[in-house]
Amino acid sequence: MTLKLGRHEFGDDATLMMAIVNRTPDSFYDKGSTWAEDKAFERVAQVVDEGAEIVDIGGIKAAPGEEIDADEERRRVVGFVTRVRAAYPGLVISVDTWRAEVADAVCAEGADVLNDAWGGADPRLVDVAAKHGAAVVCTHTGGVEPRTRPFRTEYADVVASAIADTTAYAERAVAAGVDRRSVVIDPAHDFGKNTLHSLEVTRRLGEMTATGWPVLVSLSNKDFVGETLDLPVGERLTGTLAATAVCALAGARIYRVHEVVETRQVVDMVRSIAGRRPPARMIRGLA
Amino acid sequence: MSTDVVLVPSTLALLPEYAGARDPIPDLRSACQDAVAWLVSRHASSVRVVAAPLRAEEVARGVTSPAGERIARHLLVAAGFDGRVDDAGDGVLVVANGTAKRTERAPGHLDDRARRFDAVIEEALRSGDAAALRGLDAEPAEELWARDWAALRVLGELLPGCPMELDYSDDPYGVQYWVGRATCGS
Repeated sequence: MTLKLGRHEFGDDATLMMAIVNRTPDSFYDKGSTWAEDKAFERVAQVVDEGAEIVDIGGIKAAPGEEIDADEERRRVVGFVTRVRAAYPGLVISVDTWRAEVADAVCAEGADVLNDAWGGADPRLVDVAAKHGAAVVCTHTGGVEPRTRPFRTEYADVVASAIADTTAYAERAVAAGVDRRSVVIDPAHDFGKNTLHSLEVTRRLGEMTATGWPVLVSLSNKDFVGETLDLPVGERLTGTLAATAVCALAGARIYRVHEVVETRQVVDMVRSIAGRRPPARMIRGLA
Repeated sequence: MSTDVVLVPSTLALLPEYAGARDPIPDLRSACQDAVAWLVSRHASSVRVVAAPLRAEEVARGVTSPAGERIARHLLVAAGFDGRVDDAGDGVLVVANGTAKRTERAPGHLDDRARRFDAVIEEALRSGDAAALRGLDAEPAEELWARDWAALRVLGELLPGCPMELDYSDDPYGVQYWVGRATCGS
């Protein structure tokens, strides 16, 4: 399906790198390295240079921690979106927020995508997306509250739950007036899920892509990789890329990542193996 | 009656089914397209194709159509040709190249004899030395992976004293490619 992400459109076969840019002092992977606005801006410049089509700007870490109200979240992200929009008119700007009031403010400054990592916790978010012509990422959390860790969460069938919840959210977004081409679904690895759940949604991602909705995967350095390989944050790239390959084979369209270059190479390689992308250049055996 | 002859190489990289995102032979492809367009403009109804037949090992691998013939048909269709491919035409498309052992990275690695072998062919093409082409020795040709030697011999039959204008002569991947055109007779 053609993707319309705010003012940007992408063809049926496009895969997109969504680079994580945290305006937080405490996110798990970068631990505040881009908390200062200039550092975050440097990170944007770096990932653009590395070929990212999308930046995903977040003002609140996903895990529990210090309470960040909407005013503080706005202070962290709205002005930054303004600055990135002005500097990179061709870049897709996504903002990682579940709050409608924050979403409204960033869309007014040119954000293209609302990445609602908390599965529609604020029901007004889709109205904001519709109002601004923004895209929305519909995630599956199993119904948990924002910024909570999974606790003894069980499912009869985690993939069935992910498909039911994300497609229902997607239809709700369309009903609210969001362009059907601007709706993306995300099984949300680690969110409301233990490691076996995240492994299962990875293994069965093809069932999500078969819904026809474009699928985003956010795998980068997450705990399900760490637990699977018994590795701490900082040593999870190989595991992340293995999961990325499986999702690419299943047809995921958007990859939310810390490492742009490595992920792009894996996705391109897998798509070529699958026969969906020609090699960049071929002469071996043909000359 | 005059005969127009075009020579293009038999590299599989000319075929669309082997296309990557970036063309490894843009200059060669462009020269082939121009030469074949010239041929088609003068022979819209009928073109004769001369290409090496399938080799025994290709037949053993299940290949059913010689690469040279496929390359010729692709170039002709791409040039807008919708006439007949038969043996009667006086427009001729020859698909053949030189050796594949010109450099260490060549498909057949480096053989010191390759450049000399190709130079003899190129001089024969440029001067219209039909006898030299007709007399190509199959044994060194095979050893140097100049596997289109049979087509080059036929080219000799078609060029009785007619020099060929070479639009392209290079070996970007250690294989000697030529693109040429010639008009013989009056």
